[in-house]
Amino acid sequence: MNIVKQLMAIPGVIAAGEFAFRGDRFSYEGALTDEFARMASILCRANTLAINMQTEIVDSFAEGCGCRPVQGWIAHGNLVTICVVGNYFAFIENRDELLNDVMTIMRAKVGDIRDDLLANLYSKIGGDTREALY
Amino acid sequence: MNLDKMMDLPGAMAAFTYSDKGDLQAHVLREGTELTPQVLDLLAHSCVANLAIANMEARGWEAVTGQGGFQPLKGFSVVGLEWSVVVNGNCGVVVRNRDADYEAAFKALQAA
Repeated sequence: MNIVKQLMAIPGVIAAGEFAFRGDRFSYEGALTDEFARMASILCRANTLAINMQTEIVDSFAEGCGCRPVQGWIAHGNLVTICVVGNYFAFIENRDELLNDVMTIMRAKVGDIRDDLLANLYSKIGGDTREALY
Repeated sequence: MNLDKMMDLPGAMAAFTYSDKGDLQAHVLREGTELTPQVLDLLAHSCVANLAIANMEARGWEAVTGQGGFQPLKGFSVVGLEWSVVVNGNCGVVVRNRDADYEAAFKALQAA
């Protein structure tokens, strides 16, 4: 069973999906329209890239301090939380223990993101990882 | 703000407060950690930026999609390889990933 289906099997997960780091490719399941899933994918990709840039700066001041490579991020809303690990996202309800469970499952299933995040994730969707990514 | 209480969170390596602009104001570091006040200051600045961006995205998302529940934003976390920084308002905590309890951290920050 793929990661998105596993996430969607958890009560309280509203939607989950996978986004590409280049182009507009995405896939999803749950309570989103195609257009909203496209927007969510762009939002998650943009935030992920920005956070990677930030941690590169932090790492330059404290090399090997443990912040890089970024594994993901969480935006904790009033009733809904967005969880991103690697290039997977999940919209979840704020229920007791759900956030911790979803993050544990996503980290376990996606695995550690390696140093070259973009090449790593781009290669997963069949891209040419030798091509300049920026 | 009781930073010592924040250090009681599972896996806490550092707790800190910062100004609205992201300048580090107070901090507590767990002995032996590789984190420094300079790193916390950079983290605080990035956290202010990320909270502002996430707030904008939440407002925009709700307006465009009609879906509710994102506002008000109650915190943001960046998950690094070994540790995560969890922030809300003008306070943050760095927790080791293997011990991290994100829900407890967000709750503690909300109460702070």
